[in-house]
Amino acid sequence: MRKVYSALAWIIAGGVVVQAAAIAFAFGGVLNRVSNGDVVDKALLESGGAGGTGELGFWIHGIVGGVVMPLLAMALLVVSFVVRARGAKLWAAITFGLVALQVTLGFSITDVPYLGLIHGANALAIVVAAAVAALRVRRSSRSTASTGAGTDAEGATSDAVAA
Amino acid sequence: MPSRRELLRCAVVGVAVTTALGAGALAWSSTLLGEYSVMDMGSGEHGGHGAGGHGTHGVSGGGAPAASGTVGGASALSVTSLTADADRPADVRVELVARQGTIDIPGGRAVDGYTVNGTSPGPEIRARQGDLVEVEFVNESVTDGATLHWHGIDVPNAADGVAGITQDAVPVGGRHTYRFVAEDAGTYWYHSHQVSHVQVERGLLGAIVIDPSEPQEPPEPTDAAALDVTALLHVYGGQHTLNGRVEDAHVDASPGSTVRVRVINTDQGTAAVWSDAPFRVVATDGHEVNEPTEVDGQRLLIPAGGRADVAVQAPSHGAVRLHVGGARSILIGDASASEASVPKAPQPRETLDLLAYGTPAPLGFDPAAPDRSYDYVIARRYGIIDGRPGNFWTVNGRMFPDVPMFHVREGDVVAMHLRNDSGDVHPMHLHGHHVVVLARDGVAASGSPWVVDSLDVHPGESYDIAFVADNPGIWSDHCHTLPHAVDGLIAHVMYEGVTTPFTINGEAGNRPE
Repeated sequence: MRKVYSALAWIIAGGVVVQAAAIAFAFGGVLNRVSNGDVVDKALLESGGAGGTGELGFWIHGIVGGVVMPLLAMALLVVSFVVRARGAKLWAAITFGLVALQVTLGFSITDVPYLGLIHGANALAIVVAAAVAALRVRRSSRSTASTGAGTDAEGATSDAVAA
Repeated sequence: MPSRRELLRCAVVGVAVTTALGAGALAWSSTLLGEYSVMDMGSGEHGGHGAGGHGTHGVSGGGAPAASGTVGGASALSVTSLTADADRPADVRVELVARQGTIDIPGGRAVDGYTVNGTSPGPEIRARQGDLVEVEFVNESVTDGATLHWHGIDVPNAADGVAGITQDAVPVGGRHTYRFVAEDAGTYWYHSHQVSHVQVERGLLGAIVIDPSEPQEPPEPTDAAALDVTALLHVYGGQHTLNGRVEDAHVDASPGSTVRVRVINTDQGTAAVWSDAPFRVVATDGHEVNEPTEVDGQRLLIPAGGRADVAVQAPSHGAVRLHVGGARSILIGDASASEASVPKAPQPRETLDLLAYGTPAPLGFDPAAPDRSYDYVIARRYGIIDGRPGNFWTVNGRMFPDVPMFHVREGDVVAMHLRNDSGDVHPMHLHGHHVVVLARDGVAASGSPWVVDSLDVHPGESYDIAFVADNPGIWSDHCHTLPHAVDGLIAHVMYEGVTTPFTINGEAGNRPE
């Protein structure tokens, strides 16, 4: 389960990279259209052609951000309950909370553009939270493995600490 | 060899996972709509005073084609009987043939879509006020089936063209006759209301203009429109078109003459209209504005599905440019004026407020003491509709198909409070009726009666509207950014005692949205 947990966490962190790439691709397409003399308006946005070459970027950003990431974050949270590692639940919960915030922000940007500032920064927070979650499980898995090798080692360590 | 304890642990986890999956599957399958009748929808609100927001959850989806004829008992009236006078001969007869295939876009590239009589937009229908219009609709090759809805015309319910509510979708090789009296002069359009988010976007549409029965007495000489042109806006595969062409239009008008431009927004989003020269908004959604004043330095916004008639005066020399829908424009005046001689004008930031435009006039009814009052509050949340997970729209906090049904009785004055708690604009469209805007965000209307059938409600805005229930039937009341309707932003106005024999998702394959 540790492997599943850390894999999910890394996929979430990687998903943020995909999201950043996709939205930059999409807006590149928009700017490209506009510089070619096209007009981007609500009619075009709603009929799904505003991105031009980068239209796929909007699609990816929408599907990954609106569906895939929330499901992954939820899966991470569920898995965290069967992973015996310190902080697994906490960091899964933090990741989930940040993803939930990110989705909410994403859906509200049209109405309140300033939220875009937080949306961009929060993306980095998700990367950090997901990476910490993944690394924590790995670190504690290493320490558990050493625990399995013998209590002597632990005893020795505590002796060393005591010393 | 695993220990007993480990075996027990595995068994417990296994049972828990199976139970969770089973419960999930059950919850998911309970959202499947199957075949259903709109009559089974809603929570039975009756709009009594102070009733806003109460909600006993009603029957949801769960296929009940047999439900027809159960409401209203012996006096039940089927939507199919709500027709125009069957004995009256037609004044205007048109045959419209829908085909699936390639649409040629002059000035652009051809796209796959739907045509009406070989073109998209289809032919413009012209009728005179009071005429009985009869349209024979033939589906030659639209595989999903198709219908025609008369957007903005208060037709009898049987002619409303909504698949699964007022008729079955016309299958390939089938035909259907629409008959209605063109009671209100104005600018309207027709489009399919079967899988409408696809069929409208891909061109199964056209314009219909109803001229006044008597040429109007001009209040001032300049008011008489010497020319009357239609400007139908549509985006085909990412290409902005004006009357189906990816190019600007020229209207040859003698100096000083007034041109009436009938702008029809058939797209999924708001369209802007503006010009360097002053113009007047003479009608919205087929209803004349009372004493329209000149608009200068402001833009007019037309909601998706909405129309606006704009009067522009040709200049003494050269031409004026009227921007319609952002990408296209119309040059009005001297036909020899070159494109370059009339530069494009930047879009004004300020929007004309139709709430305070023109001069007040009697409404013809008293909205102060409505017989029914309803809330229509739009929001959004995660959920599952018909087995499809997503971030869906809600009406009064409830998700499709558990949305309210707005019950009315013929003759009622109905007040509705529209509020948008979501982050997107929603062009709300009520079939079969025109509504008058009473107030926005609590500020009362102070101009000409603002009469619409398609009304943009922006995020955070609220509108108080009212209408007279004078057209019995079952009428959709939905967002005209059509993918939003697919995602649950649709409710219905149902008249007491009216039933429908048609169902959605049944054998006829009706999928109105």
